[in-house]
Amino acid sequence: MSNLQKEFLRAKLRKLPLEPPMPLHAPHGLSIFPEGPDEAVEASDELPHSPLTDDSSSASSASSTGTIRPSNFHRPLQPRKKTNFDPIPWNTHFSSSLLLPTPDGSSTFHIYITLPSTGPLFVFHHGAGSSGLSSALLATSIRSLLPTAGILSFDCRGHGETTTGDDHDLSLSTLSQDMATVLSLTASHFGWEKLPDLVLVGHSLGGAVVVDVAKRGEFRDCVIGYCVIDVVEGSAMDALQSMQTYLSTRPDGFETVEQAIEWHNRTRTLRNPLSARISVPALLHPSPPTSTSRHPWTWRTDLSSTQPFWENWFIGLSSKFLSASGGKLLILAGTDRLDKELMIGQMQGKYQLIVVPEAGHFVHEDVPEKTAAVLVEFYKRNDRSALVLPPKMTAVKKA
Amino acid sequence: MSDLDRYIQLLRSCKPIPEASVRELCYKARELLIEESNVQLVDAPVTICGDIHGQFHDLMELFKVGGDVPDTNYLFMGDFVDRGFYSLESFLLLLSLKVRYPDRITLIRGNHESRQITTVYGFYDECMRKYGSANVWRYCCEVFDYLALGALVIGAGPSIGGDDHAELEVIQTTGEAMRYRRAENGGFVTVTDRSSNNTITSKPRNPDDNDDGDDDEDTDDTTPLRVLNSGHPTGTSAASTFSPPSHPQSSAILCVHGGLSPVIGSVDAIRLLDRKQEVPHEGAMCDLLWSDPDEIDGWGLSPRGAGFLFGADIVKTFNHANNLSLIARAHQLVMEGFKEMFDSSIVTVWSAPNYCYRCGNVAAILEVSEEGGGVVRSSGERGGGVVGGVGGGGWEVKMGPGRRYRVFEAAPQDSRGMPAKKPQADYFL
Repeated sequence: MSNLQKEFLRAKLRKLPLEPPMPLHAPHGLSIFPEGPDEAVEASDELPHSPLTDDSSSASSASSTGTIRPSNFHRPLQPRKKTNFDPIPWNTHFSSSLLLPTPDGSSTFHIYITLPSTGPLFVFHHGAGSSGLSSALLATSIRSLLPTAGILSFDCRGHGETTTGDDHDLSLSTLSQDMATVLSLTASHFGWEKLPDLVLVGHSLGGAVVVDVAKRGEFRDCVIGYCVIDVVEGSAMDALQSMQTYLSTRPDGFETVEQAIEWHNRTRTLRNPLSARISVPALLHPSPPTSTSRHPWTWRTDLSSTQPFWENWFIGLSSKFLSASGGKLLILAGTDRLDKELMIGQMQGKYQLIVVPEAGHFVHEDVPEKTAAVLVEFYKRNDRSALVLPPKMTAVKKA
Repeated sequence: MSDLDRYIQLLRSCKPIPEASVRELCYKARELLIEESNVQLVDAPVTICGDIHGQFHDLMELFKVGGDVPDTNYLFMGDFVDRGFYSLESFLLLLSLKVRYPDRITLIRGNHESRQITTVYGFYDECMRKYGSANVWRYCCEVFDYLALGALVIGAGPSIGGDDHAELEVIQTTGEAMRYRRAENGGFVTVTDRSSNNTITSKPRNPDDNDDGDDDEDTDDTTPLRVLNSGHPTGTSAASTFSPPSHPQSSAILCVHGGLSPVIGSVDAIRLLDRKQEVPHEGAMCDLLWSDPDEIDGWGLSPRGAGFLFGADIVKTFNHANNLSLIARAHQLVMEGFKEMFDSSIVTVWSAPNYCYRCGNVAAILEVSEEGGGVVRSSGERGGGVVGGVGGGGWEVKMGPGRRYRVFEAAPQDSRGMPAKKPQADYFL
């Protein structure tokens, strides 16, 4: 700093009260989604119930629910109102929904797509037990920030409206082959000679799939980068042990679709009711007549039967994530989810890490606008067009 | 005993100080830091340290290995907070030492000394947990804005930059030390000590330092090194004012947390920045705190999402243009504690052993000697001087090493009072 600057600051410092000024409150961005009464529920639920009351534990953001949110990010509390749990159709967030049969007719993949104009195509792979509509709000948010971009999201094998020869083969190699198939089916359906620039985005199991696709390098020429949302090999493997216990606490089915949406919201599985209203209906189907369930609506995907594949999905994920070519982005709901390999990788600057403590596991559904902003910035940074360096300061100095 | 000394005593035992005291301490620190230049001038000898990240017990280990303040001069290159469980105690201890001994310790800013980063990576939560309010976090963040962006170590020994004159010392948890010097292949070889006849105890370096008489006790148990004579001092008289030295061998060391910036062509350009602000998302100040050296040509995109990558050509051009012998920086975890790159024109120093209590790495500090002498130990002894080659065959007299790395391990597990294991994340597939 120049002497003048210092002099100025010194004078300012003298006038300051002993107590430093409060940091500025960041203005809340205008939401592009109709603001429900629901966010007030979220804010009020979170603060007082921190499990970290033990002073000896400095376990910071052990899990997203345990993270205390900075007070300056709090929204003013609003009175609770009755939340609307009516389903919302897919076409509010995607321009088309297509069934793409494979040439041999053995499988039909269900995709949602909004075509890119000149921009990149974000390709989203949902997690186990979810559906292509998991990315609906994310799609709209990305488009509002980058209108030239397109979004492709699909139901993976054994999920949603996709039907395949063997819906029970959920091995990682099959799933990443499926993702490649979906990309080439989409390209031929729309008559693309070559794929546009791709940003692969995967949530949970989907993260393992997109990393596998990136590592195999089949689309190396067009994959600009890949993003994994809230899954890390080490902590996923640890969590698998308790997964069946967790699954057993889920209801077998629901009386109505609205009830299922309400359940996802109440249990904070999905913290954004707007997203639940879009994504949850696709997770259910009417109970088949053969079913023993007493509920009219049951889960489309039987998650406990996928257990044989769980380890296969996540083994080697961290090393593949670090070694595949392309920009690397990891979005997590809590910092302590990093395993040793990714912790070292992060501190060596091998990838970009974004932590979203205010979100649950479904980060892209809970905070779609923030996730989209991160993804769009990630795309812009990694865009292949030549690296543009800012001008040297000597030029500025003379001014 | 003054209040300040009492705070230091409390903090040294890893106890937080009252909120009002934090406020007072931070206010004093701000008054002090505002006087510092963006690039603070520091005289050799000095011990340069990298990331700490709230690992308080390992910071104590660092002081054991490197010598205590004020007997040893220290330069910490940022990232005091986040990740570890005692960010608050670590940062406040360093800050109170800074206020108590302003000329003995230099603190520069790391990318974690920021409001945005600390809200995510633990320091904010820690302050909330320990004080029940965000006030202490706010006081500390205010101080962050005043920290210098870099430092220039001047008057370093003439052998700095010469490959032969780096020395490495590995301190084991048992307290035993092994010494190595640089071999022709760039690696380090063991120093065979055949010089016991030459051992002399040199005069304490700082006659005005009233601790000189008894400070040997602190370090002798952890560093049972033989004291060697200082060879042939060849330097001219110590240059303590800053003027770019004409002789490249006696040039300065730039210390910065991250690295270089494409908009910064000279050390003077750093001096022009207005640093009193939150770390921005881009621009010169951001780059200095975020960039990394890499095996590339020119500039590259940083995978971190902030700052840039820079190659050997950038470092060499910058060092030449600014008369630097070395850039010392931190910011990247190095499993071996330190890593020299690009013909020893830049070094990464990492001072958080077993980072985050799980990475299994060792830590290092870099001791830089002053012109005309070997590395000065914490106790005022001169190190370096006579080193023998491996395998006998005669030994040669060399100048004292310009830099010595001391590598150390994490404090023993039982001494750190680790919190209970955290609950695992409720994953849903």
